[in-house]
Amino acid sequence: MCYFEGQGYYSTEQSLRLRRLSSRVPNQNAAPHFDWGSSPEGGKDDGEEEPRNLRELAMPLYMKKKVWQVQQMRIPVASGRVRRSRALRLFYAEARNALAMVTLWRRAIHKIGGHFGGGVQSYFVFLRFLVVLNFLSFLLIAGFVLIPSIVFHSLPFNTSISHMPNTTNITGLEQCMVYDPNPGALTVFYIYFLDLLSGTGFMEYSYMFYGYYNNTMVVVDESFSYNIPLAYLLTVSFYFLFCLFCIIVRMGGVARVAVATGGGAAGGYSMMVFTGWDYGLQGGCATRLKQNNIRYQLQVDLEEERLKLKARSLTLLQTVGLYTLRGFLNLIVIALILGAFTAIAAATTFSQKNQRDGIVGLLLEYLPSIVITVSNFVVPFLCDLIAQLENHNPSTTIILALLRAVFLRLVSLAVLLYTLWSNITCENGMDTGCEPCSYNYQQYQCWETRIGQEMYKLTLFDFLTTIAVLILLEFPRRMVVDNCSNKLIQWVGRQEFLVPPNVLGLVYAQTVVWTGALFCPLLPLVNTIKFVIIFYCKKITLFHNCRPAVKVFRSTSSNIVFFLVLLFGWILASTVLIYSMAEIHPSYGCGPFRFSSSMWSTIPESFQNLPHTAQDFLTYIGSQAFSIPLFIFSCVLLCYVAALASVYGKSVALLKAQLKLEGRDKQFLVKQIEELQKKLKPKQDPMGPMALSHDHVQATCDPQDSYSSSPPLHSYALD
Amino acid sequence: MGNKQTIFTPQQLDAYQDCTFFTRKEILRLYHRYRDLAPQLVPLDYTSRPDVKLPYELIGSMPELKDNPFRQRIAEVFSEDGEGNMTLDDFLDMFSVLSEMAPRDLKAYYAFKIYDFNNDDFICKSDLEKTLNKLTRNELTEDEVRMVCEKVIDEADLDNDGRLSLEDFQHMIVRAPEFLSTFHIRI
Repeated sequence: MCYFEGQGYYSTEQSLRLRRLSSRVPNQNAAPHFDWGSSPEGGKDDGEEEPRNLRELAMPLYMKKKVWQVQQMRIPVASGRVRRSRALRLFYAEARNALAMVTLWRRAIHKIGGHFGGGVQSYFVFLRFLVVLNFLSFLLIAGFVLIPSIVFHSLPFNTSISHMPNTTNITGLEQCMVYDPNPGALTVFYIYFLDLLSGTGFMEYSYMFYGYYNNTMVVVDESFSYNIPLAYLLTVSFYFLFCLFCIIVRMGGVARVAVATGGGAAGGYSMMVFTGWDYGLQGGCATRLKQNNIRYQLQVDLEEERLKLKARSLTLLQTVGLYTLRGFLNLIVIALILGAFTAIAAATTFSQKNQRDGIVGLLLEYLPSIVITVSNFVVPFLCDLIAQLENHNPSTTIILALLRAVFLRLVSLAVLLYTLWSNITCENGMDTGCEPCSYNYQQYQCWETRIGQEMYKLTLFDFLTTIAVLILLEFPRRMVVDNCSNKLIQWVGRQEFLVPPNVLGLVYAQTVVWTGALFCPLLPLVNTIKFVIIFYCKKITLFHNCRPAVKVFRSTSSNIVFFLVLLFGWILASTVLIYSMAEIHPSYGCGPFRFSSSMWSTIPESFQNLPHTAQDFLTYIGSQAFSIPLFIFSCVLLCYVAALASVYGKSVALLKAQLKLEGRDKQFLVKQIEELQKKLKPKQDPMGPMALSHDHVQATCDPQDSYSSSPPLHSYALD
Repeated sequence: MGNKQTIFTPQQLDAYQDCTFFTRKEILRLYHRYRDLAPQLVPLDYTSRPDVKLPYELIGSMPELKDNPFRQRIAEVFSEDGEGNMTLDDFLDMFSVLSEMAPRDLKAYYAFKIYDFNNDDFICKSDLEKTLNKLTRNELTEDEVRMVCEKVIDEADLDNDGRLSLEDFQHMIVRAPEFLSTFHIRI
């Protein structure tokens, strides 16, 4: 009907396309092509292929229905198969729906993305990933360590519980074995609260910390025995490997997107114009915010271009001056960061040496956490001020700020841990308390539990700080900005949700949990709860107090950066873990590894109990005869994959060049047709108006006069 | 969940299921949304294939489309008469393409048509200017609009004819990871 004659206006360049049907009917070059002449080849593929093909065609629905009717008449024989395939498809659709509903917080994150953009959404997606990771870790630890310990604590008497054999000579070391976690029987109520905050008292000798677990091997009957120390060690090791695996898998998925889309940096303007608008936005307020956001983003990008042009036009003297200034400012930043480190080390040593009761004692215990948190606020703030003097363009400024903040956070945690460990192993040379027990017995009767308590305190303090900042800073700021019309306050404005500092906070918290997992097995559970509460609090503050960020964080490349930083945190935590497991002597008085010379030595001992074939197999895997061929094979595989990747890159570039060439060919041919038509036109004039219908020439995008012999909206199709 | 509905014949429902990305339940739900826009115009019985068209004003007043600056273009692209007056088929087609199961190529094809304001199968500078003004509510200055249009054409135009063809557009969309999630209306 009218559709086939086509709508719209054709310009000169399209005279080639005049044979094509109207704009809603598929273009042969572009939209998937439907072949009317195809007949079903039979076989069960067809039953599924044809309906799927029909849905993906760019045809108006009434046409698709006609095609469908024709198809239905053609394949009556395969109706059974078609029905089955349709049923299967429906089942998959229902399963996908159900799975989507199970995904945690899916709707909330979608809403956040619609209002605040991809950058903020990526923070919440990252947070959700960490929540799931921590919860699965907790299930792992609970299943293999916690529940068996609980069960075996309450076993009846007829099962035999044997303690692990001593592998060290304990004569003369009786003083090291004294461990008294419960100071007194009579405690005041508020002491319970203090204990909850600092992990001492009733919490210390509980499943929460390492010190409570026993070095028992339980033999229930002939066939089943459960070795708790081995389980503890293997569970923690497996937990670390599991986290590494999850991070790498996630990073791979994100990196694949980034590589396929070229990092998202190129094509910024066209991306923003054509994919910037979220069609799912509803409500006048959200759309106005989004429009403001897009406008501001475009203006910032244009401004950045202007700055780049200006920067290129600096004279030599100005460039030298600028670089000197930048070097000097970098030195100041490094000095600030080193100052923060010294403060942390001093605070940790002071706090470990002095123990007091009551509120003052609590403050002393939290001193390292307080110093770390204060430095994490003050130093980035000062660095931001300094960065304004450095005069980089906005994206470089963001990257620099991120790098400095990452360095500060992770290395300050490393300084704290180093100070703790040097106290435990008496490396600072001040104490001579390490002599008999090979760890600092005077200060730490059970050093693993102390470390666990420190990590617990760090986690808790981080959580309290986040909540306090929300309540004491962001809500009041919004109330002040909304109700007070002072110009200065309006210029400061509402809080902006900055993604990098928030993400770094998450990475820091997760690194602390990893470090503490060996010494405080329930820490992943604490962290899960903490992150869930933080999700809801951040969501609330985002919607109530924040305005959309003006410097939009490009989400694709930054996702990789988040996971990379998380990987650094993992490496730090695993270094600590390996050092603790292999080098430091476990406490004599507590924990599953008392009487072993190191935590790791449990494994060689249990190795002897394995059957001979297993021993031989494991020995072979550990030997050079296996590892060297494996290494060579991995290298070969790596080279192959790298070669494949470069080949694909080259073919993509080749195809792009081909596309350009084809466009130019098309233009050339169209110009030739124009010239031919111009040559034919003077000859055709005497033949009358009818011939004009074959000669439809227009020059611009806009509609020109339409011929009176046809309805006004239509143009012509040559046939 | 049985076959108790009397709005469509089973064959019609099968056809809709095969031609859109919706399940039976969703098609019926969408039918009721369509009917709610104008209960007196839309009959309860579609078995006889009535020819009912809802005017653009009603479509444009749906909460999902009301605040979208491109709602008029969306309605024009998906409507049979090109003016925004939609039959039930057009309505289903529109939300099927905008649903999350539609593939990227199909969405890119229709997105191109939406941004092509003068329907000449190319996105030229005037189309870009109109798109930009709708995106930013006319708040950019003339200079800025011009610069952004130039940059967009620079970045995306592969065959160097000064405007974007469908191939240029699709090539650019392939590199945009957020397109599938932004070109999506949940209904």
